[in-house]
Formats: sequence, structure tokens, C-alpha cells
Amino acid sequence: MPDVDTQRMPRGVRRSSPRQFLLWILPWCALLAFGLYGAGLCLVKGLNQTNMDNRFAFGLWIFLDLTVIALGAGAFFTGFLLYIFKKNELKAVINSAVVIGFICYSGAVAALLVDVGQPLRFWFTFWHPNVHSMLTEVTFCISCYLTVLFIEYIPILLKNRKMRQVPSFLVFEFELHKLMPVLAGVGTFLSFFHQGSLGGLYGVLRARPFAFREGFAIWPSTFFLFILSAAAAGPAFILLTTWLVSKISRKPLVRPEVLPLLGRISGILLLAYILLKAIDTLVWINSTSPARGFAAHQFYAWKPFGAWILFVEIVAFGLLPALILLRRRLRQSTPWLVSAAGLVCLGIATNRFVLTIQTLALPTLPFDRFLTYLPSWQETATFLAVAAYGVLVYSLSFRYLTLFPQEKDLSC
Amino acid sequence: MNTTSSRPGTKPARYGMAVDLDRCTGCGACMIACAVENNVAPAGPDATPRTGITWMRVYQISNGAPFPDSRAAFVPILCQQCGKDTPCAAVCPQEAVEVDPATGIVDQMPQRCLGCRYCMTACPYHARYFNWWDPRWPPGMEKTLNPDVAPRMRGVVEKCNFCHGRLHAARDRAAAAGRRELLPGEYVPACVEACPAGAMVFGDLDDAASEVARLARDGHSFRILERLGTEPKIYYRTARPWVRQAATQQRKETANA
Amino acid sequence: MLSHIVFLGLFYSVLAVVSATVGLSLFRAVQDFRARRTEAICWQATFPDLPARGRVCRHELTGEFRHRTCDKAFDCRECQTHAALAARHPPGPGEPDIFGLNFPLDRFYHRGHAWAHPEPDGTVTVGLDALGARLVADPEATELPAVGAHIQTNGAAWHVRKRGADVRVLSPLDGEVVATGGSQHGWYLKVQPDGGRFDARHLLRGAEIRPWIARETERLQSALDPTSQALTMADGGVLMDDLATGHPEADWDAVCSEMFLQP
Repeated sequence: MPDVDTQRMPRGVRRSSPRQFLLWILPWCALLAFGLYGAGLCLVKGLNQTNMDNRFAFGLWIFLDLTVIALGAGAFFTGFLLYIFKKNELKAVINSAVVIGFICYSGAVAALLVDVGQPLRFWFTFWHPNVHSMLTEVTFCISCYLTVLFIEYIPILLKNRKMRQVPSFLVFEFELHKLMPVLAGVGTFLSFFHQGSLGGLYGVLRARPFAFREGFAIWPSTFFLFILSAAAAGPAFILLTTWLVSKISRKPLVRPEVLPLLGRISGILLLAYILLKAIDTLVWINSTSPARGFAAHQFYAWKPFGAWILFVEIVAFGLLPALILLRRRLRQSTPWLVSAAGLVCLGIATNRFVLTIQTLALPTLPFDRFLTYLPSWQETATFLAVAAYGVLVYSLSFRYLTLFPQEKDLSC
Repeated sequence: MNTTSSRPGTKPARYGMAVDLDRCTGCGACMIACAVENNVAPAGPDATPRTGITWMRVYQISNGAPFPDSRAAFVPILCQQCGKDTPCAAVCPQEAVEVDPATGIVDQMPQRCLGCRYCMTACPYHARYFNWWDPRWPPGMEKTLNPDVAPRMRGVVEKCNFCHGRLHAARDRAAAAGRRELLPGEYVPACVEACPAGAMVFGDLDDAASEVARLARDGHSFRILERLGTEPKIYYRTARPWVRQAATQQRKETANA
Repeated sequence: MLSHIVFLGLFYSVLAVVSATVGLSLFRAVQDFRARRTEAICWQATFPDLPARGRVCRHELTGEFRHRTCDKAFDCRECQTHAALAARHPPGPGEPDIFGLNFPLDRFYHRGHAWAHPEPDGTVTVGLDALGARLVADPEATELPAVGAHIQTNGAAWHVRKRGADVRVLSPLDGEVVATGGSQHGWYLKVQPDGGRFDARHLLRGAEIRPWIARETERLQSALDPTSQALTMADGGVLMDDLATGHPEADWDAVCSEMFLQP
């Protein structure tokens, strides 16, 4: 006998009992509460609650913001491949990708509002935009894109079993869905620019020869490298999350050919990225850095960030998973596929880490020193709040909305 | 980069400084004078060297030799008022940094600052400081506040602006005397005025007759991180080769805890 | 200045495009309401959410295709492929007894298990076929439309409630309800078709019924017991009159939503 809870779930799929679900979400709610407390301290008492300082003006939050935005790129890229390239196999994961994208971007924006010293002044950027600044570009694009993601989330909400009983919701959803390729195109355009500008943030820093890069017109090479790495990371993260959700819910959610397809897409883009990144690194070592008066190897003389980190980023977490994902035999094996996807995501995180934390740790003034930074518990708590928020939104979406349309087909 | 228009009827100046490292004793009077002039709040109990606000900050360098050949020198670092591709102005998303074409001074507008700290990562000289706390003056010390300078709130970035309050006061005095132009020495930042060794010289770099322009052209003068191409306007002078080397070249050091 | 114009121009263009998209969707939705296309659109919007096994083309059932999924939401009146195939191979007569269930030959059958029978006076009688009747035998409630109400093809014709399952039976035609009956009458609605014409192109008839019902009983079997691998029907076995009573452990809402095409 369907009860109030079951009546709100998609038909034809099994979900855990309300008690089991409650047991699942309670610890995440507790984590969210704890994290909100940490964030609240930062908002009320000021950013002295963090371990950031005048040398480490960017810390854990910026690093994690960049990482989750890169991982959330799966939303735009899957949308692009599905609605514009007509790769219909991706219908199996597009809803999940949109929800993940929404979570990643809304979480990053929330973390950013805690990160800035005067959150209530966020609108100043829109009123006095500095069109030459990469950060202005990021602000505009991410605001627009979050709106687009929210609009893309609405149809998924409207198709909820209870919601779709209201005819006007369904008719609106139908009309909106007809224009989805437009939104996918806008999303791709916006993502191209903000993923790139996030890379541009560091590439333009003349003061930081470790991060500074030449490029094309106003755009340093990091602009393009970030776009490519985000496009590679997005499908890998979707692969990883789909597998994880499938494992936790103990049900097949997508047909067996979907995950290897995501892996192949990720592998191809990752290989292209690694090649370009290798070229860029060589150019930087041989030309850009010396031109600014620094031999590149000098940067890697500071412990603990030796040259091993370069190797890890490009080879261990880059070339290696790319080669794994490009072999069909290995893609068919789930342990190889999922491990490679995990390595890809770690590689993207390493790249973002290098550009934020390592860049700031390295001295600029000749008589300056290498600095260390470890986040305070309030900083960590804030980000755990974002993670908990993400898990809660995703869990609720998975329970009450159709995130995986193939689940019904696979349930018998 | 947002810029205001030049003051009509006056020749634009390019204010800069020449700091003689051979005279600097590291006494720190410039640091104190700067803080007092510009209403920088005393550091709270939780402040560290990396979270305190020091628009002027004196660094100590050494020649690295063991005793008895070890030598020290002192390098006062303040905002270098970068004249070309000013890094902080280029990156501020709200245009809260303005390079004044009439004076060449890089102005920070704390009332527009969002506190994103991007400018701080962009500044090669670490000359920008963030208000990690609300400013608090212990009871009685509020009497030391300078009424010509606005204090800043928590969550915004601030930095040296060549004592803008003194520039305005000097212009007012000149206007009261019927002049549009400032006389040499009429406008002097607090640090320059306070230095007991007379190590700092301030003036218009574009005025060929001024002492600072003459010192800047001198063979002993150099600028820090010149190769980054930001055209800083603070010239440092020393006759000692090891000081010049220490101030311009990087040496390998192990990690700082 | 130019970079300012370019940057802000792009930003406002993007905002304009996004607002226009949402605005246009809202506008079209309102238009759809005014034109009373709501029912048809609701069906079109939810049809892709049916599992693939529920969207099999009638021409795959008859063996004309190895594998084909309907892309017209079961509205064969719009389908070029159906028009071509129906012209070349119209279905043969078929037989009335299908696996012990009675499917009279003079009726047209909707994929949602409603049947339509054109009467001499121009009206069309609509009822629930033998399989449908066994799924919702002895319902807790039946909600029929009022006389004078308008029903649309693939829209809701009437609602039935059985053991917690809220079933809407799909209408086989467009028209105005002139009389209502019930399970005791053997028919549910008498309908005056729109424009005086009864278009039955999208409905199954004759020799299409047997392969359709064969596939339906397979779907029913797996809906009743999702974990079983068996796809065969016992020979000589006939479905019980009240399937719900015979399968007390089954999720009847899930079974009915599968069989009555309710995603």
C-alpha cells in the first residue's frame, strides 16, 4: 500500500524504507549543522577564524572551489554532448549530471560568500565591473551559469510523481524541454568562459612567475588548459558518482555501455590535455619563467613541493589514467574504469592545488621565505558543510526524482 | 583600470621614493609613523606577523656569512606604486584600485573593496594587507586617531597610499597661498618625515631637478623585482654589492615553519 | 571602453537569451492551455519516461520489425512508417480467444487496454478490455467523467482505484461524453467523436491482438515478480478474474502503472 512517502517517489523503482533513509541522512545533517557553525563563526567573528593570512590570501576554500567547479563541469559537457552533439546514450546520466552541477556550483558560491571579507558587497562587481579582471569574468559567468543550472534543474523537479499530477507543471516542463538545446548551448558558452577564467586567474599574475603563463591575446595558456581539464574531469566525476550511487543503493542505474562511454570521452580529452599541458610546461621551463628572471627548477627546490609534484600531476594522475581509459579492454573492467576515473579527479584537484596553494607558498621577494599553511577547523568545517549539503540534495533528488531514467528498465 | 582625470591646469606628477639602504638602521620609526598617521589599529592578541597590518614593513637581510663576517641590512618595503600594468589594479573585480594619473599613486578604495583578496595574491611585494579583525583601539588610544584619515572596517584590503591625507592637506595649504602647484618638500609622507637617519627621499620623479629623480638615475640605485616589468617607483640605493645581490636575487632556503 | 561594451554586451545578451527561453516556454505553455492541448502534451511529456519495454512499436509486435521503439507516443495517426506498412500489410482477422481471454473481433484496442466500438448511431462505446478488467477487478472507486465532458486521445478517460493504485485509463479517441456506464454495464463511456468521424488508425485490431497480449502477459509476469527470470506462461493456464487478490505481495501501484502506461 503506497504511503505518503512512496507516493512521492518515482514509480517502478525501489527505494529504501523511510527509517533507513533517515538513518542515512541524519549524520549528513549533523555534519551540515557543524559546518554551518564553523561558517557562521567566520561570518560573525571575521576571517581571523581561518588560518589564511596576508601571504596565504587564498586557502583551502579557493582550492576546493576551483576543484568542485572543475568536477561539476560534467553538467555542461554532458549537456553539450547530448543536446548539441546528439550523443543520446548520455540521456542515462544527464539528470544526475545536472543535479551534481547544481550542487557543485551552488556550494562553491556559498563558500565564496563566506570567503570574501564583505559578502554583502557581492553586487559591487556587477555595478563596477573591471572588464580586464579575470575575477570579474568569473563572477558574471558563474552567476549566469548557476541560474542556467537552476533552470535545468526545474524540469527534473517538475517530473516528480506528485508534481507532474499538476497539468500546468507538465506542460511548462514540456515547453521548456523543447528549448533545452538553447540552454545547453548557453551553458556550454558560459562554462567555456568561466572554467577558462578560473585558470586565467593565476596565469595573469605577473607577480607569480610560477603561475604566470603567456598565451593568446589576453588569455594565458592556463585559460585553455583549465577548460580542457574541466571537460576531461566532468565525465570522469559523473562516472565515479554514478558508480558510487549504484553501489550505495545496490541497484544498477545505467546500462553497461554508459560508464565505459564516459570513460572513453574523459580519456580522449585527458590525453589531449596532458599533451598540451606538457608542451605548456616545457615552454614555461624554457622560455616564460627565465624571461621573468627565474629558472623553473628553482621553484621546485622548496620542500615539500619538489619536482615530484609535477610528475604526480602530469604522469601519475594524468597520463596514466588517460592511457587506462583509452584501452577498451580496461574500460570494460569496472575496477580499472572506476580507479582511472578517480585518478583523473585527483589529477584535476592536484592541478588546482598547485596553482593555488603551491603558488602562494613560494616566495616572490628575494629575501622572503617559503611559507606553510594548514586550514583551521572552521575552514574545514565550512567545506564539510558544502559536502554534506551536496550529499543531502543529491540523496533527496535520488529518492524522489528520476535521476537515472534507465533504472526502471534495469529493475527487472 | 579605472582612472580619474588629471587635475586641470597642473602638470601631472609621478611621486616616488629613494631609500638609502646604507643609511637605514632598521629602527622602525617609519613603521610606527605610518601606522599612527594612517589609523592602523594596534594588533590584537591573536595577530601574527602574517596577519598584522604594516603598510610599511622593514625586512632584515643578511649576507649569509658566518661570524665574524656576518652582516645585516634592512629593507623597508611599502607599496611600490607600480606604474605599468599595475598588478593589483588590473585584477580587482570591482575597480576598487585606481591609479591616479595626476600623482601616479595607486589608490585603494576600502569602501568599495569586497575583500576577495585577489589583489593580495597579485602583488609581488606583499604590500597589501587584509583586515582580518575589526579594528579596535584600547581605551584612551582613540585619542591618537588622525581625523584626516578614515579607518577601515573588517574584511577589506588596505595599503600604503603615500599618505593621501597629507597630499590633500598640502594642496589645501597651497590653494590657501594662491598656488596650484606644490612646492618641493611641501608634501611628504609620514615615513619619510619620521626617518631619523634621513634614509628616505620623496618627490616627483618626473621633476628632473628633484633630489629623488637625481638619486633614481644614480648607478647605485635599483628596484626590487624590476624584471617583472611593473615599473615600481621606489628606488633602493646601496654601495654594498652583497646588499644589492640579496635584494635582487633569490637564494635557496628551507621551508619556513 | 570597447572592452567594456563587448563584455557587458555579451553578459546582457546571455541574460536576454536565458530570460527569453524561460519566457517563451511560459508563453507557449499558456497558449497550450488556451488551445486545450494540455492532455495531449501531458501524455507526450511523460511517454519517454515509460520503460523501453512499454514503448514497443506495434510493428515489432507483429514481427515486421526485429526491434523498434515508438517515437510518436503511440499516436500512429502521425506516423509515416505505420501509414506505409498498414497500406501494404493490413492486419488479418485474428481470433476472439487469446490465452483464455475474450477479445471480441469487432472492437479496436488501445495500448492502454481500453477498447472502442463504433455504434451504428455514430457514437463510440468505450470499455476496459479483458486484461485491464482483471487488473482492476472490483475496484475501491471508479471516477467517470461527467456527461458533456471532453476526452482526448491518450488523455485520461476515467480513473479507477484498486488496492492503493490510482489508475487513469487512457482514452482511445477524441470526443464528448454522452453517456456513462460502469463495470456492471460492460462498457464505461459512450462518446460522440469529434468531427463526427472515428479515427481508429492508432488502435490495434485483428491479428495484432495475439502478439500484443502475449507481450503484455510477459510484462505483467515480470511486473508481478520483478526478481523472477521466467518469461513463459504456463500452457493452458488462464489469468484469474481478480489478479490483485491472487498476488497479495505485489506492489499493485507499480503493476498497474506498468500495464496502464502510467510512468
